[in-house]
Amino acid sequence: MNDIFYKLTVSHFLILAAVLFAIGTIGVLMRRNALIVMMSIELMMNAANLTVLAFARYHGGTAGLEGHSLAFIVIAVAAAEAAVGLAIVVAVFRTRRHADIDRLNLLKN
Amino acid sequence: MTIRVWAALLVLAAMVSIGAPAFAQPAGQPNAAPPTEAARAQRERAAEARADKGAAADAREEAAPEHKGFENSRMAALFFWIFAGLTIGGSLFVITRRNLIAAVMGMVGTFFALAGLYAMLYAHFLAAIQVLVYAGAIMVLFVFVVMILNRPEDEPWALQGLLGKALAGLAIMYLLVRLSGVLWAIKDQPHAQVAAPSPPPVEVVVKGGAAENPGKAPPREDAFGSTRAVGKVLFNEYLFPFEAVSLVLLVAVVGGIAVARPHHREDDKKPAVTA
Repeated sequence: MNDIFYKLTVSHFLILAAVLFAIGTIGVLMRRNALIVMMSIELMMNAANLTVLAFARYHGGTAGLEGHSLAFIVIAVAAAEAAVGLAIVVAVFRTRRHADIDRLNLLKN
Repeated sequence: MTIRVWAALLVLAAMVSIGAPAFAQPAGQPNAAPPTEAARAQRERAAEARADKGAAADAREEAAPEHKGFENSRMAALFFWIFAGLTIGGSLFVITRRNLIAAVMGMVGTFFALAGLYAMLYAHFLAAIQVLVYAGAIMVLFVFVVMILNRPEDEPWALQGLLGKALAGLAIMYLLVRLSGVLWAIKDQPHAQVAAPSPPPVEVVVKGGAAENPGKAPPREDAFGSTRAVGKVLFNEYLFPFEAVSLVLLVAVVGGIAVARPHHREDDKKPAVTA
């Protein structure tokens, strides 16, 4: 029983990544502020990265380094997504004076 | 609440600076290097980890070349649980706060803890990238947008009270003490390599390695997760995705400017055509 606490395995990192992804999903679904939603998306991307790196550590060798390359590309894409998303938030706020995603229903119906 | 944020940041900084020398001790690396390479790779990895964390350059870890099985020790498990708790707590902090700046600060703490977890997974290069890109660039972008969106009806996020000032003073003192310790260590040992040591001559490894140029010696092994090893894979097999990512970043820059630019008519001076 104590091995769960004292012996680190890949499952520890995978479960942590799953919990982190779940928290990010809850943030996307529950919060109404667009900035918090974007931060939750970043959390989910980080959870995916943690999963990739845990499996990379598990495999080792060149395959693991390919996982590192994938995580690197994910970080770059997340940076691009944050830049464009924040620009959209600023543009929306400039026209409507709020960033509440529940009230942004112009495309609904 | 702000005092709690400061306390969390202080604890995090102290923990990272204490934990970085421990992570610099490699043990049970996935692809075991030959023993002659092991000592050098270990020095490299220690220097990288120190540069990653920006922590003190303790001279005593240079004098412990043998593996002590850190990864299987209870110390590693302790660090994992600490980092996991910080990650979960920081992310819960993000999705529960009403104050946006507090949420951003929790996000920064989460990213630092995740960088620690990456370092535990021998992804030293990605830990550094995580701190630089996420905790540095992206969070600064978020803070800027929060400052733009939060109109002056919100009170400024200032720390009042004696406890906050005491905490801030303690943090600054701690930072100065560690920094002076690093500088003194450099002064006392002019031969100490704080940055990465001068690399030995690297033979060019083409795609496929020794299989494609059989006349030469097999390519030397790099430490798993080091910058050089990741760069070799990234610039050989994954060169096209790398360049595609540069294109994605270019599109993001152009798109961000095009979306966030204020739309003023040039010919008539009407104030902003909106919606």
